[in-house]
Amino acid sequence: MIEIFNPGWLAIIVDNGRYGYGDIGVPPSSALDNFAYSTLNYLTGNHTDSPVMEVMGSGFAIMFDVDITCAITGAKVSAYINDVPLKSWTSFKATKGSILRVKEVTEGLRYYVGFSGDMVLEKAIESFSTNLECRFGGYKGRPLMKGDIIEFNNVRIEEENAVAERYIPSMNPPHLLRTTEGPEIGHFTPNSLEDFLKNHSENTYSVSTKLNRTGIRLEGKPLLFREKVDKSIISEGILPGTIQIPGDGQPIIMLYERSVGGYARIATVARIDIDMLAHLKPKDKVLFQMLGIEQAETLWVKKKRKYLMTYFG
Amino acid sequence: MNLYRYGESGIRIVFGNSIDLETHEKVRRYYYFLKSLRLKEFIDIIPSFNSCVINFNNNAISFENIVSLITERHGELDAIEIPQPAQHEIPVMYGGECGPDMEFVCEYSGLSDNEVIEIHTSVIYTVFTVGFMPGFPYLGTLDKRLYAPRLETPRLKVPEGSVGLAQLQTGIYPFESPAGWRIIGKTDKKLFDYKKEPYSLLQIGDKVRFIKI
Repeated sequence: MIEIFNPGWLAIIVDNGRYGYGDIGVPPSSALDNFAYSTLNYLTGNHTDSPVMEVMGSGFAIMFDVDITCAITGAKVSAYINDVPLKSWTSFKATKGSILRVKEVTEGLRYYVGFSGDMVLEKAIESFSTNLECRFGGYKGRPLMKGDIIEFNNVRIEEENAVAERYIPSMNPPHLLRTTEGPEIGHFTPNSLEDFLKNHSENTYSVSTKLNRTGIRLEGKPLLFREKVDKSIISEGILPGTIQIPGDGQPIIMLYERSVGGYARIATVARIDIDMLAHLKPKDKVLFQMLGIEQAETLWVKKKRKYLMTYFG
Repeated sequence: MNLYRYGESGIRIVFGNSIDLETHEKVRRYYYFLKSLRLKEFIDIIPSFNSCVINFNNNAISFENIVSLITERHGELDAIEIPQPAQHEIPVMYGGECGPDMEFVCEYSGLSDNEVIEIHTSVIYTVFTVGFMPGFPYLGTLDKRLYAPRLETPRLKVPEGSVGLAQLQTGIYPFESPAGWRIIGKTDKKLFDYKKEPYSLLQIGDKVRFIKI
């Protein structure tokens, strides 16, 4: 078992997500950084859909009451086991009685912690992911807290494994988000759209403090709606990465906790950049670029190949 | 019906431009049609007021191929069986602590609270869509006399079971949540239970009547 000494700002259990229930309003609640998530399960030798911890903030600390292989991916952190520094994106052996501490997050926002073993947790609606808003899934439907204990089945010591530096994505701002056209792109004035994509210093957007797993609010030059266009739409299904523009003109990038929305959808973050959304933090600068759908697809196919390289050299 | 691409892995199938029962019936039929195809490439199907949004696995199939798979089977659309809508009665405690916006709705509509309750309970509502949060039903159509704008600043928290209205819709919050609708009452009925299938008490197309308790 392990014991949570300190959950950092927020530590929750996530997995591949909860799909197939969009018709009853159930959102995916999946890990936000999919590459970091699946790489973590690869490093720990777990199933590709195993639950892991998604953590924000420094201070995170756990105590091991078992010998087990552990790894951290996602945001780059300075972490220590007892007082020995560790490398992110590299698996390591934790021995019974040792303490893992994350002292600082040096790049990015969310990091993932996983173990070579099956955390004893109950699935809710076919997934281990925590739905924080409705309090189900994960660990008792809530964030991890000091004193929580997680038991394991199938504990293993795996061979140490690492992701080559060149495959670890950079998470430093400014974040370039490549997008494809959203269904309501035509609701905005041409000038305003041009500004949205201009990326001049006076037009850049910055991440506001209003940020959670549902969405990220940005601040910048407000988008202008064309005359005679309704500012809201009839609520409709929305997919992760959709950029909605509410009446005040400030973009909201939707993540994995909503399945319908009623604001105009100007664009959708291309799949190639969607994992980056996990790492946008307050004050970070964000730049937008519009891709054609085929361009986006081509980039994604290339990236997929790179993913495979990560795992199979 | 119009079919559009939505990002790399989305398809929007749009049936109209307004919230009405005719459009709703088209969406509902199409939703059951899509389900009946049992395509493993469908990750999620999200029906709403005037459209179905499909999230498909673009690692496994191209947009073009999935669209032709759907359109090839269009002939089945009229023949598929769609379930009879279930009927539900939702007991509601109106006003007072349970309905902090009752006073506003009365003032805005010029009706007494008894009249508001009378009108709210006299309609059999249709579940146009379930969303915003798990199990949250968008119910319509609300009697025009009860039309009320959304709150300018949403409340940070309303309790589970809060019954609200906004514009020409009414709905029930299945969980404690932030809320922009005008809350006029509260029900003890459980709208969503993750431990028990079908999880959501209400499904698209179901009929709902509120009962004053």
